[in-house]
Amino acid sequence: MTQSVRQGSRVGGETFEFSFDGRRLRAQQGDTAASALLANGVPLLGRSIKYRRGRGLLSYGPEEPNALLTVGRPPHVIPNVPAPLLALTPGMVLASQNRWPSLRFDLSAVLRIGGGFMGAGFYYKTFIWPSWRFYEGMIRRLAGLGPAPGACALPPPSVRNLECDVLIAGAGASGLAAAAAAARAGARVILCERDGVCGGELQFETATVGGESASAWVRATLAELGRRNVHILTSTAVVGGTGGLVVALEQQRGLPGADTLHRIRPQAFVVAMGAVERPLAFIDNDRPGVMLLGAAERLLAYYGVRAGRQAVLFGNHDRLYPAALRLAAGGVRVRAVVDTRPPDLARGSQSARRDLERHGVECMMGHAVVRALGRLDVRGAKILRLGPDAETRTIPCDALLMSGGWSPMVHAGLQEGGTPIYVPRLTAFIAGEQPGWRTLCGAAGGALELGKALADGHAAGAAAARAAGAAADPGRAPSGSGDGPPALSAYWRAPAPPAAEKRQFVDFQNDVTVADLRQSLAEGFTDIEHVKRYTTLGIGTDQGRLSAVLGAGIIAELTGHPLATIGHFRTRPPYQPATLKTLAGGRAGSLLQPVRRTPLHQWHEEHGGVTEATGLWMRPRHYAANGADAFAAGCAEAKRVREHGGVCDGSTLGKIEVTGSDAAEFLDRLYLTRASSIKVGRSKYMVNLREDGMVLDDGLVLRLAPDRYLATTSSGHGGHMLSHFEFYRDTEWCDRRVALTDVTEAWAVIVCAGPASRDALRGVLGGDWHEALGRLAHMEFAPGRWCGAPLRLLRASFSGELAFELHCPPRNALPLWETLIHAGMAPYGLEALDILRVEKGYLVGAELNGQTTPFDLGMGHLVKTAGNCVGGELLHRPAFHEPIRPKLVGVRAANGRAMFLAGAQLTAPEDRRRSCGHVTSSVYSPALGEWIGLALLAREHAREGGTILAQDPLRGGDTLLRITPTNHFDAAGGRMKA
Amino acid sequence: MSRLVCPFCGPRELEEFVFRKTLAEPAATPYEAVYERVNRLHDSLEHWQHLHGCRAWLRVRRDPSSHTVLGAVLLGSEGPP
Repeated sequence: MTQSVRQGSRVGGETFEFSFDGRRLRAQQGDTAASALLANGVPLLGRSIKYRRGRGLLSYGPEEPNALLTVGRPPHVIPNVPAPLLALTPGMVLASQNRWPSLRFDLSAVLRIGGGFMGAGFYYKTFIWPSWRFYEGMIRRLAGLGPAPGACALPPPSVRNLECDVLIAGAGASGLAAAAAAARAGARVILCERDGVCGGELQFETATVGGESASAWVRATLAELGRRNVHILTSTAVVGGTGGLVVALEQQRGLPGADTLHRIRPQAFVVAMGAVERPLAFIDNDRPGVMLLGAAERLLAYYGVRAGRQAVLFGNHDRLYPAALRLAAGGVRVRAVVDTRPPDLARGSQSARRDLERHGVECMMGHAVVRALGRLDVRGAKILRLGPDAETRTIPCDALLMSGGWSPMVHAGLQEGGTPIYVPRLTAFIAGEQPGWRTLCGAAGGALELGKALADGHAAGAAAARAAGAAADPGRAPSGSGDGPPALSAYWRAPAPPAAEKRQFVDFQNDVTVADLRQSLAEGFTDIEHVKRYTTLGIGTDQGRLSAVLGAGIIAELTGHPLATIGHFRTRPPYQPATLKTLAGGRAGSLLQPVRRTPLHQWHEEHGGVTEATGLWMRPRHYAANGADAFAAGCAEAKRVREHGGVCDGSTLGKIEVTGSDAAEFLDRLYLTRASSIKVGRSKYMVNLREDGMVLDDGLVLRLAPDRYLATTSSGHGGHMLSHFEFYRDTEWCDRRVALTDVTEAWAVIVCAGPASRDALRGVLGGDWHEALGRLAHMEFAPGRWCGAPLRLLRASFSGELAFELHCPPRNALPLWETLIHAGMAPYGLEALDILRVEKGYLVGAELNGQTTPFDLGMGHLVKTAGNCVGGELLHRPAFHEPIRPKLVGVRAANGRAMFLAGAQLTAPEDRRRSCGHVTSSVYSPALGEWIGLALLAREHAREGGTILAQDPLRGGDTLLRITPTNHFDAAGGRMKA
Repeated sequence: MSRLVCPFCGPRELEEFVFRKTLAEPAATPYEAVYERVNRLHDSLEHWQHLHGCRAWLRVRRDPSSHTVLGAVLLGSEGPP
């Protein structure tokens, strides 16, 4: 049944083409995928996740569980888009999901694969023999819904931060009333509506507000809100929030991925998100054509789409009748209205029923639909008279519209704690115990009648404005009347023989049936939270909006306990499907973390430097010209440094300037060794301790002036050490004269190392520096200038060669570096740096891992000179000298050839299963022609000249190692002191 | 509500601050101060730093059960937050 030119409040204008599963279909401007497909007579929209049953549209909102479509052509697909939200554009390509080879003919449904094996908790009980891996491949292919995208063509989402006095979620009757009240009271208001149009159910309910039609009132209110500068966000759903921050997602055309993320900080938050209609459980209630009554009403009012030619309505409340009248007026032939209540409970709808009967609609009170007939679309309804006289009838229809009542939106109220409160009048729950700044109003708070919802909203808006400090007159609440009170009578599932309970669906997205609930209870999972997890009830994208109360009601019936004690399970954000990239605010890929580059970064990239991230810094590991891979290039670069010389970019070193008349004493307190004894113009190797006595960091400290020091830290530790220093400055030194400045990025550092380094620097720096170059002893520095900019020349070595560190402003780094390169100093990267330092036994983070004390690292001589420093109190513990404490040793292969890697566990010969240490660093040393390393080994085994076994089962084999001094190369240090 | 009033910068988002540790009891020995931290559900005294702001260290009183910050003073100052 194709309906071509339709009239509805949202469609009109030209038609255009789109495609669904390869079929070309036509739609009108304003259509969503759901409305267009149903208008084209396509009720079958997908297949269910477990049993692959054919499914159609159930609900018209983000809670839709069945009609999830894939948009686009591979690889740029967007899967799992709810059809009611997706606005169609010309040429859009849509595909159904979870079926093979086609939607109408799905192989696994035909073969009924899995059906019997996938009851509640099946993954604990099935697919066990011979092993899970036997079934894994097939199950992974069958599992899930849409396909994962291969590429994403969408622009990154944008993030907006907003703050306001009052945030109102939902622009239905109560939300609009709340917004008007709050705005009149003088508050700054943000109003969020997840639909593209404001008004909620007023858009199709026959209602009057304040004497005028509901639509006129909505228009007038929106105009007033506009005049009062209320920020109205449509197509924006509040998806979650925590700790006073509310997150809302604005989707373009209902397509997840092209979103704007709004982070809103309101002083008060009014939840007016309404209530969601509930389905009823009867046999085959999941067939395409069985849908919620509200969905059919919206399809008709907004899009002019008739849910079917002939419809049967089924429910348990008075609002079936006005709905039936509206549908009949829209051209749907309503064959029957099946009401589970006996006539004496339904007096409020007597006149409506008389109207309907005059139009030929059969009103069957005290009856229930027990089965939907048809397979891939509904053909008829089998109706049973409830009571002792159980006769059945079949009425042919192609649309079966069910409504079991409304469940107030508890999500915003329950996601952050809160308890569900049972409301008998609604046979549903509302969220209780809200924090002071959040209120529920309207249907979300349990007020389903229009008059009450308007009054509720007005009061909530005025109260929220008052709480935010805006106390002008909010005016009077509008009065209104719409569909009468529902007069619900609890009804959850139609009678069915036990074998058929597994075709009475409770949660449509996860294929949870009444049989699953019964099985869960029989197996002892009786708490609603356990039932949820064991049966997967309500864990899908609707988070229980359709299934929670229905499931609880059925459990109440099966156990005999009152519904109030069953409760509502915890729901999780996001309220509406959202992509991870959007929730991350676009902080993905290269935008995930800030990248720190040195002033020489571009030079490294242009000259074959293979840069990689170490922490946040990009540093060159090696230079491609020197070798085929990092290993070969590293060896070549290290060899050249020892034989001739090279330059290395050390700008990532953390640097903190400590100034003030109390600076010396301050540093004495923070370092193990004394800073006050450093002479001006000299530097010293210093170690910090953590409060528990472990080594925190090491570095050189230079004394620039009597009251000015430059403390260097390991690369990447600068920020952490600065915070550490600032803590002590702000506590014990808060009244003293100490100032701290992070100068990590104020000074570029170039290391020039090797036998030829001094001569190269003579040539590069010029005559002014010849005297300093000749004079400087190891650990001394000299300030000066080069090319008009400050330069500090420090003689220090991390490579064990004659070496100098040049500190200059970042803008001078490149000229200085290039001049040194031209003078014959080739660049070397981290790989070579590591080789050189391991040859000398110098320490980096692998050894300073936060679990080693100064005694472990061979710094006992420094401890003797220590004063009262941070960490000093807990440093002197007997436990730190026990035989199992690690000791830093050097290691080499016993046979002089074998390779061993950092991380290998060391075991003593007598017990191969107990680790007594590990290899912390290992490199191949070109200078020594073998693999060397450093290790932390229990004191009791760490005898120089002894052997120890290094076991590395994951990467290959065991190696026998010889224990050596940590200083493998040039132990006397002659090269460094040349 | 997750906002902290920094004594220098005024009310700021909690994300600008970094939690460092809870305070030790006043009469704690060095061992207790390092290893035995107080862990209170409702009235927690903590050290935070305004890392993405003025970098001041603060003594903060907070209710961890509701993530609400009750008060903050500079670390070096006297008086409860």
